[in-house]
Amino acid sequence: MAYRISVDTGGTFTDVIVSDGAGGFVIGKALTTRSRIFLGMRDAIEAAAMQLDIPLGKLLAEADLLIYGTTRATNAIVTKTVAKTAFVTTAGFPDTLLLKEGGKFNPHDFSQDYPDPYIARRHTFELTERMGADGVASIPFDDAQAREVISRIRTRGFEAVAVCLLWSIANPAHEERFAGLLDELLPGIPYTLSHRLVPVVREYRRASATAIDASLKPLMQDHLRGLESDLKAAGFAGQILVSTTEGGCNHIDALVEKPIYTVGSGPAMAPIAGLTFSGLEALGDDVIICDTGGTTFDVGLVRDGRLTFTRDTWLGPTYTGDLLGISAVDMRSIGAGGGSIAWIDDGGLMRVGPQSAGAEPGPACYGRGGTLPTVSDAAVVLGYFDPDYFLGGRMKLDVEAARRAVMSVAERIGLSIEETAFRILSLASDLMMRAIADITVNEGVNPRESTIVAGGGAAGINIMTIAKELGCERVILPKVASALSASGMQFADIVAEETASLVTLTNRFDAAAVNEVLAGLEARLETFRAVLPGEKDAYRIDLVAEARYLGQVWELDTQLPVRRFTGDADRLALVEAFHQVHERVFAVRDPGSPVEVVNWKARLVVHLAKPPEPAVVATRVEAGAPTARRDCFFGDRTPLPTAIYKAADIAPGLVIAGPAIVEEPTTTLVVYPGMSAEVSASGNYLLRTA
Amino acid sequence: MSTGTPAEFDPYLTAIIANRVDGIVREMTHTLLRAARSAVINSARDFSCSICTGDNELLASAEGLPIHIFGSHMQTRAMADFHGADIREGDCYLHNDPYSGNTHAADHTFLVPVFFEGEHLFTTVAKAHQADIGNALPTTYSATARDQYEEGALIFPAVRVQRDYVTDENVVRMCRSRIRVPSQWYGDFLAGIGCARVGERRLKELCAKYGKERVKTFIRDWMDYSEQRMVQAIRKLPAATLTNSGAHDPFGTLLPEGIPLKVTVKIQPEAGMIDLDLTDNVDNVDCGFNESEACATSSTVAGVFNSIDSTVPRNSGSFRRIKVHLRDGAVAGRPKFPHSCSVATTNIADRLINIVQSSFAQIGDGWGLAEGGVGMGAGFAVISGKDDRSDDGAFVNQLIITGAGGPGAPAADGWPTYALPVVGGLMYRDSVEIDELKHPMRFHFLRILPGTGGAGRFRGAPAMELAYGPTKFAMDVLWPCDGTHFAPKGVRGGQDGTCARHFRVEVDGSETELPNIVNIRLEKGAYVRGNHTSGGGYGDPRQRDPRRVLKDVLEGYETETRARDLYGVVFTGLVEDETLDIDPAATTAARRALTS
Repeated sequence: MAYRISVDTGGTFTDVIVSDGAGGFVIGKALTTRSRIFLGMRDAIEAAAMQLDIPLGKLLAEADLLIYGTTRATNAIVTKTVAKTAFVTTAGFPDTLLLKEGGKFNPHDFSQDYPDPYIARRHTFELTERMGADGVASIPFDDAQAREVISRIRTRGFEAVAVCLLWSIANPAHEERFAGLLDELLPGIPYTLSHRLVPVVREYRRASATAIDASLKPLMQDHLRGLESDLKAAGFAGQILVSTTEGGCNHIDALVEKPIYTVGSGPAMAPIAGLTFSGLEALGDDVIICDTGGTTFDVGLVRDGRLTFTRDTWLGPTYTGDLLGISAVDMRSIGAGGGSIAWIDDGGLMRVGPQSAGAEPGPACYGRGGTLPTVSDAAVVLGYFDPDYFLGGRMKLDVEAARRAVMSVAERIGLSIEETAFRILSLASDLMMRAIADITVNEGVNPRESTIVAGGGAAGINIMTIAKELGCERVILPKVASALSASGMQFADIVAEETASLVTLTNRFDAAAVNEVLAGLEARLETFRAVLPGEKDAYRIDLVAEARYLGQVWELDTQLPVRRFTGDADRLALVEAFHQVHERVFAVRDPGSPVEVVNWKARLVVHLAKPPEPAVVATRVEAGAPTARRDCFFGDRTPLPTAIYKAADIAPGLVIAGPAIVEEPTTTLVVYPGMSAEVSASGNYLLRTA
Repeated sequence: MSTGTPAEFDPYLTAIIANRVDGIVREMTHTLLRAARSAVINSARDFSCSICTGDNELLASAEGLPIHIFGSHMQTRAMADFHGADIREGDCYLHNDPYSGNTHAADHTFLVPVFFEGEHLFTTVAKAHQADIGNALPTTYSATARDQYEEGALIFPAVRVQRDYVTDENVVRMCRSRIRVPSQWYGDFLAGIGCARVGERRLKELCAKYGKERVKTFIRDWMDYSEQRMVQAIRKLPAATLTNSGAHDPFGTLLPEGIPLKVTVKIQPEAGMIDLDLTDNVDNVDCGFNESEACATSSTVAGVFNSIDSTVPRNSGSFRRIKVHLRDGAVAGRPKFPHSCSVATTNIADRLINIVQSSFAQIGDGWGLAEGGVGMGAGFAVISGKDDRSDDGAFVNQLIITGAGGPGAPAADGWPTYALPVVGGLMYRDSVEIDELKHPMRFHFLRILPGTGGAGRFRGAPAMELAYGPTKFAMDVLWPCDGTHFAPKGVRGGQDGTCARHFRVEVDGSETELPNIVNIRLEKGAYVRGNHTSGGGYGDPRQRDPRRVLKDVLEGYETETRARDLYGVVFTGLVEDETLDIDPAATTAARRALTS
């Protein structure tokens, strides 16, 4: 049997999904072991092996592919344990990382210090050189001075070097020269050159990405190589791929070279899962993906079967965090989840968050000393969780503590505990709904014409009310909702991207130059493709222009209508393609304006897994008598007797009418009154809000 | 589920609808930022979106610049006064008249009345600083303009530019005939209307969802709630009457002493009111520095918001608790026609914010703020000329590449991205590469100027210095700087910030110091260099945590000399190899010596 193993190591849990090659999936979960990731991974794989009824050794030996997703890089950034990195930049411009792009949220808030730059000013080195926007050096590269800089870098014990010079994208000669000197004087020191990593205009974006990438190189190299040898030692003989924030996966070699692509790679897999499940249930290729965690709610989009990307991903807060700078799958995160705290402000308004009870002490119902009312406490008060069967029985919930916590808010607004709890949950749902509305609106997508795929163990608590509020009629809660990212990896393609900066106006279009750039991008990807696994022809290369109207500064991704520009019709087709994108996103077009293409992108996609065929439609069966009934509240003062279904009651075709609750070992689904859920032939829940 | 009767305040539904309204303002903001043409809007975010009610109260202004927040309701009132019953669905009005509610003429404001079931329930407002407005000089800040006529802007006192969603091309042709780089203006015009229309569409959806009565109840409740938040914030303050003064820099022979400014802040916690009295100010001046009513009000109100709980909503509800007293014909009051308010949004407005926020520091330790850095120097210049790279076509734009340093606060240092009191760090900054791509210019340097932040227990942000010039043709460079003579002040023992200084450097390297108000032409090879102001310090520098001083020196914000002489912190080791560390005994002694 050719097993395929995907592993998502989160901060707390390691999720594993194993597919058996015949369409079957099992989930394994274990605690993440930070000191040595392989240990937790092995436990989780073993848990999956037990469900397959085979020994761990056999599973490892017979698996031909393991896809690994890691938060190692993200954690190193958050805990500031990255390498001691030197930032090398153009003389006169040492503060690019400090000043970022400006901006903050509240102009009247003077209570916080300004954030430190990603690399300290004292670790910043200025090179005597200056390239111009036209690619001509106004100050030549000064070899002697550069050698002196490298000597200081050596003396002060730097472990990595980030090189970002102004206009290296117009002419990389100075960055290349400095790299040559590094190779000569400090052979083996890991470094990143900005024009190679992110050839985009805007020095802060390039510098930030370059700094992050270089700072991760030593530790990610150790980490990935170490994992590789641990897996080999444990008897795994197949191919290892690592998931990336580009929404695919790639070789360990490639990620040792560009480790920044592992940052946020776990969440980037969720949209792939979303697209796969939507396809499996024949619900189209416009998909909204939501992933509910304890402290955050992540949202992403798939439009026309394509993932959506952004260069505006911030590590930490927008404006004041650090910009990732690379083109990454657009997953937006808001601080709302089971741990968000409800309160009444001094104007009498009800609020949920942004404060969170986190994991410690956690919600009051966890019984670890928390007393503030959280969204999870509200769900407990409403009766949505079986206090004895939480997380498949791994944790007991303290109902009285939850009630006491919610009571503190109920007294302030003069409602019953249960009415208050429902409002707390609804307010949290509203924040989540707004996060979805924001991302869809920004991309010009209508949620009513999309399918929602919900992930996260707690997603089923309120996904139906969120969907109803958005007017979204197609909703899927996958059976593997609690391991959405790991399941996405099962269907991930190998993805590699190359970008070139060539600023081109459509009214003075240099087709020859553009074609040369495109050919260069494709050639690089073809070379890379030649050494990859997968079927020989099962790949494609997408070509994208990052374009804007002349005078704008924010680009929109525009798919190229042709592979090469041969005549005027091709040029006009590109212009029209851009007008359409602009109109979709901003509701206006400016047909008289030339279009300016800033960057050209080529994206290689090598298919590893065939998308599953839509399953046959299961024959519908009305649900019979439930395992149990219990009183649950749905906004009124009085409860409704609510049917409770356990995993054993669930079979394809089953239709469950609300009010009802489905309790699976890793997920809970609340079917609200007037709504219903149907189990598909594949075992996923199709939710109907009306 | 039960939603409560409309008569009672519903803490839940009010929160839900407030979130939606906030979301609409943010969507408007996103639309304008991304679709606009001029860098001053699409890179720097020098614009603000808001929603007013049908009866001309400001309802929501999320993410709006402090100087823009107050006054959009005065503009919608002007629309109502001028057009009355003729206002109908599908209209859009352009307003930039500082005499009927606008900030200054450069802020083109698009007003779209929103109708639901035949009733005018809201007006969406998109206010954006233009790259050019057809002034006599190529700048949107005409410091030298003797009056509005010399300023020369096209003025639109709520002029209808769309009826039945169709644009009046007469207005477009007028603007195209007068405004520099008309295609850039037109792109921003489309983006502004698009933004206001997006708000209209979403507000109609909101009304359809919740019903007209529910929405009206919400408006009432949200205003009352915001007022209540303001009352709570004011009750935390002690009763006090704080008088504070300051001054704008001199301006040539016209204003050799500068412009003195004075505000009296009367805090009445029992009544939950704050009075801002600006009536004791000099008459209008014959240049572009006069405040419009909107700016005089916005700036002083912003000074209050800087000094209280920063989460109080900014709308007509909370504004009920601030009474602003203005005098007709005063430089910081209601202007007397035809005085020019061309520079109303920055220079004197910046000083007024500083005067108010630093007056709160008189209450005691932990209150108020130091003065923030002021003055639009070289980093905020309006540049124009011809571009050899695009068939010698014309360009004009305001640089927003770096500004003044932020003020020291009771528990935090000033921010280097503060820019100006009127924007409070909210604006984005240009990228060096984007500016060089869009304009035929080259920067020589742009960096922190060490040892310049106003010393204090919490220091002001250091000044920024920069230099740039044209790459081929001559380039006109204009800026109306402040803070070249009068530095931003420290409070409670904190020291003053650094003054701005600018120089013109000729091809041969010779330098001439520039006055604060600059209008020069640079030939190829010549350039300007200079520094903006830094922020004032808060509290005694000798009480600054020595570890903060150590970090400042290691990071190059401060010098070892100043650390010893101003902060009384003495080190061992070296900066160069990061062995620098505090010498505790010598530091204690140095601090004692500084105190005696």
